[in-house]
Amino acid sequence: MSQKTELLEGLGRAVLEGDDEAAASGARAALSAGLVPLEAIEQGLVPGIRKAGELWEEGEYFLPELVSSAQAMKAAMAVLQPLLTSAGGGREIGRVVIGTVHGDIHDIGKTLVGTLLAANGFAVSDEGADVSVERFVARAKELNADLVCASALLTTTMAQQRALVAALKQEGLRARVMVGGAPASQEWAREIGADGFADNAVAAVAVARSLVGR
Amino acid sequence: MNPAELGALVEKRALLLDGGMGSLLIAAGLEPGRDPVWWNLEHPERVEAAHRGYVEAGSDIVHTNTFGANSVKLRSAGLGGRCREVNTRAVEIARRASGGMALVAGDIGPSGLTLPPVGGASVDELHDAFVEQTEALAEAGADLLSIETMFDLREALAALAAARASGLAVLASLTFESRKRGFFTIMGDALVPSLAALADAGAAAVGCNCSVASPVMRAMVEEACASVRAPVVAQPNAGQPRVTAQGVVYDASVEEFARDAAAMVAAGARLVGGCCGTDPSFIRAARAALDAAAG
Repeated sequence: MSQKTELLEGLGRAVLEGDDEAAASGARAALSAGLVPLEAIEQGLVPGIRKAGELWEEGEYFLPELVSSAQAMKAAMAVLQPLLTSAGGGREIGRVVIGTVHGDIHDIGKTLVGTLLAANGFAVSDEGADVSVERFVARAKELNADLVCASALLTTTMAQQRALVAALKQEGLRARVMVGGAPASQEWAREIGADGFADNAVAAVAVARSLVGR
Repeated sequence: MNPAELGALVEKRALLLDGGMGSLLIAAGLEPGRDPVWWNLEHPERVEAAHRGYVEAGSDIVHTNTFGANSVKLRSAGLGGRCREVNTRAVEIARRASGGMALVAGDIGPSGLTLPPVGGASVDELHDAFVEQTEALAEAGADLLSIETMFDLREALAALAAARASGLAVLASLTFESRKRGFFTIMGDALVPSLAALADAGAAAVGCNCSVASPVMRAMVEEACASVRAPVVAQPNAGQPRVTAQGVVYDASVEEFARDAAAMVAAGARLVGGCCGTDPSFIRAARAALDAAAG
């Protein structure tokens, strides 16, 4: 096995095992061995986070493992990201504003989606929970967002998702809207005119990629 | 009622719990996003009417309106520092509604904090979140305590330790999902080992609530009853919420729920009731099904 293959596999393994120290030191080792940041991300980190997602779908991984993997990915990205643009490999694949809607304080799922999106190369602005429609719109405008992701865990707060879609359209913003949360569904997304829906965090990444054309 | 007394009671006959509370309060005018615990102070008569619906439908035990009334959750609901008051009022309301016809279980839900790696709280913080609530529920005269919808075994054990200090019987339920390799919490706690751990830690009854509808919960109950020695408690949802042109609907029928309630008792469950989306019509049908099965 070449040194390069070994380094890339080590990065993937560090992410899969949720070892943020190994991920960060692996990223530094990759750089000193002459790998370009983009290579380390796309052939090292991304396969690791994808595999973590697959293991979650298989019922092998649960929320703690997924969160640990995403954190390891973040730790490695913190080393690689600053060098991305200078190496000419700038790869921010979309700007995302994410939050749990007003009146709803459930944020585990939303945080996980945000973390996984960031780990997959999106620039994510996590607005937290209990986010008003006005705040979503203002942030989307400010950041010229590609995507706005709104989570609602209660049947009583999901109406906020509808209000958000309407408000973004009203403002004429280009951002596409994704909705999620226990009571949301594909049918609901269609009814309120949202662009995407996912019923779990792993699927959300795939939907987000397709919405930004990546 | 201490754990031995509850044990003796459920050995004699299976007990029927109540159903969902939040959806009834919303129907009675609770604004979206407003925590139901507020109504113990603002609209006690409406909370009492919801309880009374369950007592009249045949519940043997009703849960106080205190799912979000631990000290941490109350702070974020804008009721910081009023933990004792909220829980005391809630027990008084349930007591009035029961009129001696039903036992009152002090309801305890998750703290709202999460442990590493998902969150940054410590087990001690979780335990502390429940101390004031469980003390207040017990002092106000709850007959037993009921820990529900826990998604992390470690938090359920922390709540159980706080609740056990009251000397009351404690029901302890986690919420499990059906995954490829069996029934697990989102944190990865497997059904049987988790319930065994809660029983070992002194829960008077252990089981599952929320997340799934009655057909899936039946399968969980069968698995639990085959290997856990403590009495098993089960409270399924009324199916999955769906949004239609008419509003939010739950897709399970009252008949299916009642049939599964009786089937869960036949499989060995000793306490059954309903969770999200269930209302007195579900409990009334379950009462009839349980009574018919008991002959």
